Amino acid sequence: MSQALSSEKPFQISISSFDLTLLRQKLELVRLAHEVDNAGWDYGVPLSEIKRLTAYWKDTFLPKWHEHEAKLNEDLGPQFTRDIEVDGGFGKINVHYVHRKSAVVDAVPLLFVHGWPGSVLEVKKILPLLVEESPDYPSFHVVAISLPGYGFSEAPQRKGFEAVQLAEVCNKLMLSLGYTEYVTQGGDVGSLVTRKIAQIYGPKHSKAWHTNSPIGEPPHPIKRPLLLLSHLLFSYSPSEKAGLERTMQFQKQGSGYFAQQSTQPQTLGYSLDDSPVGLLAWIYEKLVNWSDGYSWTDDEVLTWISVYWFSKSGPAASTRIYYELAQAYPEGIFSGVQTPIPVGHSYFPQDIFVVPRRWIRAANPTLVFESDHESGGHFAAHERPEELVSDLRKMFGKGGPCYGVVPGKTGYVVDVIKFGGRD
Amino acid sequence: MSDTEAPFRISISDNELESLKQKLALTRFPDELEDAGRDYGAPLADIQRLTNYWKDTYLSKWKEHEAKLNEDLPQFTRDIEVDGFGTLNIHYVHKKSTVVDAVPLLFVHGWPGSFLEARKILPLLVENSPEHPSFHVVAVSLPGYGFSEAPKKKGFGSTQYAEVGHKLMLALGYNEYVTQGGDWGALITRRIAQLYGPKHSKAWHTNMPLGEAPHPTRRPWLLLTYLLFKLSPKEKAGLERTQWFQEKGIGYFKEQSTQPQTLGYSLADSPVGLLGWIYEKLVNWTDEYPWTDDEVLTWISIYWFSRAGPAASVRIYYEVNNLTPEGFARNIETPIPVGHSYFPKELAILPRSWIKAANPTLVFESEHEGGGHFAAYERPEALVGDLRKMFGKGGPAFGVVPGKTGF
Repeated sequence: MSQALSSEKPFQISISSFDLTLLRQKLELVRLAHEVDNAGWDYGVPLSEIKRLTAYWKDTFLPKWHEHEAKLNEDLGPQFTRDIEVDGGFGKINVHYVHRKSAVVDAVPLLFVHGWPGSVLEVKKILPLLVEESPDYPSFHVVAISLPGYGFSEAPQRKGFEAVQLAEVCNKLMLSLGYTEYVTQGGDVGSLVTRKIAQIYGPKHSKAWHTNSPIGEPPHPIKRPLLLLSHLLFSYSPSEKAGLERTMQFQKQGSGYFAQQSTQPQTLGYSLDDSPVGLLAWIYEKLVNWSDGYSWTDDEVLTWISVYWFSKSGPAASTRIYYELAQAYPEGIFSGVQTPIPVGHSYFPQDIFVVPRRWIRAANPTLVFESDHESGGHFAAHERPEELVSDLRKMFGKGGPCYGVVPGKTGYVVDVIKFGGRD
Repeated sequence: MSDTEAPFRISISDNELESLKQKLALTRFPDELEDAGRDYGAPLADIQRLTNYWKDTYLSKWKEHEAKLNEDLPQFTRDIEVDGFGTLNIHYVHKKSTVVDAVPLLFVHGWPGSFLEARKILPLLVENSPEHPSFHVVAVSLPGYGFSEAPKKKGFGSTQYAEVGHKLMLALGYNEYVTQGGDWGALITRRIAQLYGPKHSKAWHTNMPLGEAPHPTRRPWLLLTYLLFKLSPKEKAGLERTQWFQEKGIGYFKEQSTQPQTLGYSLADSPVGLLGWIYEKLVNWTDEYPWTDDEVLTWISIYWFSRAGPAASVRIYYEVNNLTPEGFARNIETPIPVGHSYFPKELAILPRSWIKAANPTLVFESEHEGGGHFAAYERPEALVGDLRKMFGKGGPAFGVVPGKTGF
């Protein structure tokens, strides 16, 4: 798409006074739920946390919103919106994104894709590191999209908008920005989307993908007999066992949101759109349970929640992807992981789905990069930005398995002397 | 135990009414996909209509609705001591028949039900007639529901709920009684039967009959579909309904049994959130019951204005799930006679052979052509008809409470 015809517009988050007033009025009328004695975190988010956060939101955070908003715009840097046409009758969707170019002309174009309950906010810390210029590691041009239905992107209006459509939007966005060839990084739903991008648009456009939510399927007597054999013959390491236990705990105790969002998202949506404290609890529970002892400040939490509360389409829209995925993939999203392009993994031990390495390797035959971490959870880009960026630098840097995977965009300043250039 | 019974009338304060009105006026609705129908959850058009009606009409007539409730349902409260949990102030409906030797019957609701579910069956049950037995009816608000206090400590499970129901009956002078229950009420009255039968509980009736699956597999219903060709059209329909519930209808259950407090903040704070959460069940779990907006909002109001708040009501899922992880469908047998009513739009419709195998003391069965989960509310005459047959002259549980035949 040529610049002349592009619908790209610069964007800054600027919440209207109407929206701010409505939120304040709702916070003033909050009716809190009681709690059993000594509940701790057993029943969900503790009342003491919600009380504190709600009071702080009303009395301190919200009155200073313009400062937070300014900081957010500053941290995210240049933001834009543009129309993307989506095949299959979905029409035009106005998409919001961050786009920051490195000073290194031939930086590697990288698309960062968030998940749920994440947002484009998750790119904030890794952004300066990724674009940073250095002879020691590659630089990236970064595009961080707000998926349709999230942040300041429009939401689809029709049924059936699933991973294929999200991948299409992402690919078209990269192409429209002049990045015919690019790499991707994604976690959570972003992992699914970037996997889809790899499968549909790789290797022509997507050249390699990296995820911090690696998955693989368990052994199966018919479908994965060799894995079953290995499972029976060779034991798992202590950390693999711990990971499996964590995964089962998540399935058992932590997947209620998943069941609800995959089946009756609209029903849930009435609460999320109407109640700030309801939305706060629904998301904050994940921020705490899915991260590795990350010390969330109240400002961080409320900024995160605000992106949902003030989102263009409202919080309910963000949950619909679970329903669409359940419809589109009745066999589940943990199968069909294979892609035709190189993939890199970062393993964080306190993520929610941590399965044995051999399961993951069996599911990912094009796995070229792996990096193990001693700590860190689900929100890697937010919790462990240096580690995540370091992994990307190793994967795409000189000597790395994906060096030069985007032809002509190695991520380094071209050494003019080597070409015996003039002067 | 000293008698702490006090008469009770629902009397919501002006403050609470005003607060609800203010919240309703600030409602922010989500969008909805085109042609979503009921696929994604409660439809936006319904919720918007109900919310606006609630704010603009229903609330201003609340005192009328309240008065009618109080008129239809004579209510009381009293303290009940629960082992290990201290004293809970319990709210209940109590109506005696004019027939002195009527059968004492405890009616136990479930979620998202309440004592309100006894509204229609109450006059029928207490009715005096030579043709059928009469009942003295007690409809308890389970702890955490309606105008009963909620337990303050962790671990309040089916044993404790059963204890409350039983002790209430004893406190009212009903040393021997029968029970009727659906949803949680089915589980709790079953527990009452196991703990207090046959000494006190003499027989129990449920409209949510259960049985055990022969093999717990990952997809038991999938296994069953292979048997479809052997099943009658009714049984096929039943299995399809069960499958629908397991696959599409179980999200609330998973959330409520694992993170009830997280969900609770929404239910306590957002009237439209609470409305959506419950209304979806009122529609999906019934057999096309023609809910009026007044009916729906009265039903929701009991949750909104409940003594312990709506969040308390969902904790039972967490407690029971923790205490009995093997689920509802085990340990079904009881030492006393049991009667079943089968309604085609119930949520779990199991093969009759499984149900019979799990209920060796089954003495009464009644099959219906229509009706769903909220039998007492949807099909009051049918349900009462069944109770009259089960406990009436010539019925399998006639005279099961000595000296209280109902005639």
